[in-house]
Amino acid sequence: MVTTSTMKKSATSRRLLPVAAAALALLAVTEQASAQEIPLTGPLAGAPAVRKMRLYREGRLELTPAVSFTLLDEYQRTIMAGATLSYNFTDWLGFGVWGSFGVIKTPTDLSEQIQKTNSTRKSEAATAKGAPAGTPGANEAIIADRLTSVNLGSDFRKQLATIDWVAAPELTVTPFRGKLALFQSVYVDTDVHFFAGPAFVGLTERKDCPANSCNAGTAGAFTMVKRTTIAPMFGLGLSFFTNDWGALTVDWRALPFNWNAAGFDSRGKGPNQDFPDGRISSEDRLFKFNQMLSVGYTLFLPTHPRISP
Amino acid sequence: MNKTRIGLLLAAALGVLPASAWAQEQKKAAAGATKATDSKKAEAAPSKGDADATAGDAGNEAAAGDGAAAAEGATEEGGDAADDGGLEAICKLDPAACPKVDFDVEAKKALGEQIYAVQQLYALRVRRFELNPYWSFSLNDQFVGHPGPGLALNYYFTNVFAVGLNGNFYRYFNTDSKFNGDVRRAARVGVPLNEYDWSAALNFTYVPAYGKFAGFGDFIFQYDAYLVGGVGALSTRPIAVFDPVYRNFNYSTKVAFNAGLGLRVFVYRWLAAVLEVRDYAYMEELENTQVAATNEDRQKSSTWMSSKARLTNNVQAQLGVSVFLPTSFDYRLPK
Repeated sequence: MVTTSTMKKSATSRRLLPVAAAALALLAVTEQASAQEIPLTGPLAGAPAVRKMRLYREGRLELTPAVSFTLLDEYQRTIMAGATLSYNFTDWLGFGVWGSFGVIKTPTDLSEQIQKTNSTRKSEAATAKGAPAGTPGANEAIIADRLTSVNLGSDFRKQLATIDWVAAPELTVTPFRGKLALFQSVYVDTDVHFFAGPAFVGLTERKDCPANSCNAGTAGAFTMVKRTTIAPMFGLGLSFFTNDWGALTVDWRALPFNWNAAGFDSRGKGPNQDFPDGRISSEDRLFKFNQMLSVGYTLFLPTHPRISP
Repeated sequence: MNKTRIGLLLAAALGVLPASAWAQEQKKAAAGATKATDSKKAEAAPSKGDADATAGDAGNEAAAGDGAAAAEGATEEGGDAADDGGLEAICKLDPAACPKVDFDVEAKKALGEQIYAVQQLYALRVRRFELNPYWSFSLNDQFVGHPGPGLALNYYFTNVFAVGLNGNFYRYFNTDSKFNGDVRRAARVGVPLNEYDWSAALNFTYVPAYGKFAGFGDFIFQYDAYLVGGVGALSTRPIAVFDPVYRNFNYSTKVAFNAGLGLRVFVYRWLAAVLEVRDYAYMEELENTQVAATNEDRQKSSTWMSSKARLTNNVQAQLGVSVFLPTSFDYRLPK
């Protein structure tokens, strides 16, 4: 005869047994896992990720003649010619100097449009002043000419600021080194490098002028002056090693700094100085994240690289 | 009751597993007590696990390249040594035939294996889908930014060739830059501006380049570079700049061709970080810079648009991740 108490005990046992089995299983798994903790031995112990690697940079001097193109320019594009000279203390750390001169400067389409409108406006305004009242568009031209007289000289393209030269000591770090397979037939050793340093930038910019002296009719209102500014410079690049002593190098670099690229009076008055104040001053220099793309060919000396163990 | 028995049986079966691990330790000790060479073999047995682990760390077989090649060699050695039950039997039967290998000496020998410039590809793409959500932002428009989310879906027919679709959604993300206002205020020159709604395109992808990088000479990661191009539709409309009192534009769809290149850095065999730069070229309809003389004419929508469409390039960077499906694959040939 089965009593209620016996049935309860049996049901409890049925519930407990799977739990006990599961606990045993967990213990068993733990024991096995601890048995896998084995000290590393054999030929791979302490082995580097890459053996017999060409140390293209370690202990070598490098010279990179390069052409640099400014990117995302608002008013004027600049093509610069220059070179980087650096010495690599290790395969991943080097120090050098990059220098470049702006050799070709061309206005953007926006600058051309502004000049075209400016030229038409000045011509119409001049005609309207001597013409009978009611000449179509003449009044608008006169008003616009007056409103823009601080900002636009006779030729807008001649008041654009230019980057004349850049000299920048830079620290180069090359953390990534590898190879590139192209079309599964050409294999090129490649590295990715990062660099940073202070840049000394030579600019030509519209000269500061006090209020009431900056209008288009005033002599010297749109003269240009040279100045030097210091900006942080940083970037990254790729080197494709074509042989033991040479590499094709592509660098992107940024030089953020404030400058008055268009020679406009755009700041200095009102809340947060966000409105024009009728004069040209340092407040009219606006922040610009200047960018460049450099393409060059690096020559390494000595011509033979060291080989890692 | 049957369940209880099954549970007990399962517990007993699982309990056997750790016993086998201990048995290896005891065997090693026993072997060490009898013969020094046997002891070295017993040490070599775990080296199989080590070698596998090393190769795995470096990205498994091919990924590690040189390092993996060494790992493979070590695995083979370990594999031979692991079979010490058979060797023990030989040694007991005929001690003269017992193989005597000094593993310390062997480890110092040059491996001399054939190493390929690029071994098995880390991630095969063939017959896999690639799902690529990304965020895009304009690179070449100083006046209006066209950022927005996008999604691409590609199917790789071969390891280097894929066909797919991608779409961008811009409507709520167009930005009118401060520079734009500065120019209008300073020079009294307006520039026609346009904003985007969406785009969709059929694309072809070709992967001509792939490779690997060692980071700090320590870890290795894989990458590939690809070219992409296609054709599709782009919905845009002008922003009323010259006569905003009367002009109001609706979105219209244009045919847009696109071409670009991208870089994919693999995190896993099924997951990669992707940076792509793509140019969407299309004929843009611009706002008329001339305003009609009378209010009646200003209200006529026929006077709002410029008569000439202009070839426009919208170069955008697309930063996202790629998920490859299925997530795993088999190599056709052994390494």
